[in-house]
Amino acid sequence: MNTNYIKWIIFVISSAFLVAGCASFPDHATTQQLSEKMVYDAFSYAPAHKKRLDQDRSQKICSKIGGPANLSQLEAAEVVKLARASIKYPTSGKLYGNWKTGAKLAYSGRGDRIRNGKVEKAKGGNGALCQNCHALEPGQINVGNMGPALTGYGKQRGNSAAIVKYTYDKIYNSWAILPCSNMPRLGANSHLTPEQITHMVAYLLDPKSPINK
Amino acid sequence: MELKRGLSLTAGAMLLLTMSLSAAAQNDLSVGRKMLVEDNPGELWIDQGKDLFYKKRGPKNVSLEKCDFGMGPGKLEGAAASLPRYFDDTDRVEDLESRLITCMTNLQGMDRAKIIKSAISRPRSKGSEIEALALFVTSKSNGMKVNVTLSHQKEYDAYKAGEYLFYRRSGQTDFGCVQCHGEDKKRVRLQDLINMTSTPGAQEVASTWPAYRGAHYVVRTMQWRLNDCVWQMRLPDLKYGTDYAIALTTFLNHRGNDAVMQVPGFKR
Repeated sequence: MNTNYIKWIIFVISSAFLVAGCASFPDHATTQQLSEKMVYDAFSYAPAHKKRLDQDRSQKICSKIGGPANLSQLEAAEVVKLARASIKYPTSGKLYGNWKTGAKLAYSGRGDRIRNGKVEKAKGGNGALCQNCHALEPGQINVGNMGPALTGYGKQRGNSAAIVKYTYDKIYNSWAILPCSNMPRLGANSHLTPEQITHMVAYLLDPKSPINK
Repeated sequence: MELKRGLSLTAGAMLLLTMSLSAAAQNDLSVGRKMLVEDNPGELWIDQGKDLFYKKRGPKNVSLEKCDFGMGPGKLEGAAASLPRYFDDTDRVEDLESRLITCMTNLQGMDRAKIIKSAISRPRSKGSEIEALALFVTSKSNGMKVNVTLSHQKEYDAYKAGEYLFYRRSGQTDFGCVQCHGEDKKRVRLQDLINMTSTPGAQEVASTWPAYRGAHYVVRTMQWRLNDCVWQMRLPDLKYGTDYAIALTTFLNHRGNDAVMQVPGFKR
């Protein structure tokens, strides 16, 4: 009776140690499963907005823990290939729009945010978000520094057909040029329309644009 | 209330003045913010939280004195500095806000949905109960070190999930947390961004919430911060007190260990 009692105590104590000793970081597959469930449990969303939580192939590759520095060459190449294939041009074929329209869009961070289920509608379409992350016109203080300064962008590069196309592509899907860059794939994600992007191209390249003064 | 509003407005005006002066003089926007940390209008909410904490409230007409934040019922010293953590009674890792809601519903018998509905107050309002309570409870850790430990399996799981979610990109901006919070000395427009992949950055996060938000004239909690981030990221509405938010907070706070708690923080 007495020995049984002691055995029981030893069993309980050792199993408690065993359980405590077992607690450790889960492996990646478990973490992924837990986390993905957390995402879909955490948000309330209309069926049409589920795609904002779903990851496409490129987003999955670009979500590496530790950041894009941990991308393999094959993964980077896949992201570039998918990005290149995503780029669509305006039906008119003209990639160079109106710099004045672009100048307005560059300073707008509005459009398509969701609060209490309502989608924010911005006048003139979604803002191009540029000012949040890039220095734009000379002497401005209220500009971000997440991305490189774009001051004098066209002055430095000219506005040859090749530069126009490069600039359009970069805005449409920045991952075609720099895989997993922090810059949103503004055209590929339908945040901006192809027409809006042509205005951004003109804002960056036109000699009359304040960005090149 | 009048006094409070008057003080906040004065503080707001002072902030603008100091910000513009320092911007002009030395282009250092942090000076005005540092000055305000020393005379933080958010302190006014601590007493409000204290009153709410000790007052008998809810259908069960009890105070929150029996609430266990992980150090034992009613023990507040250092408790917030160790959150999030695993709780037996809910079998879940909880952060400060979700633990408060657990106690308000289980001890006081309040309605969870109702608490959550008003949890994030309107700007320029008198603030929400959760905001005041969270600040009061956290103020009891002031001067103590952040100490979020991982021992229960669910704490390990939450930490790893938080790390995963920090890097998870989705939606039309392709943003995860790391896109804005992965490098030193970055700004979105004029707003400084904390590099949360660095130890000092994680420590700043772990030790300064709840915080007085100058632009809103109210005290905000970490739950509000995450809400506002995902809104800008163009994600759908984040619910209150989710495992997603708790996992991210576990990841950040654990890496912010050893920072000295000082709340209310001050945010732009």
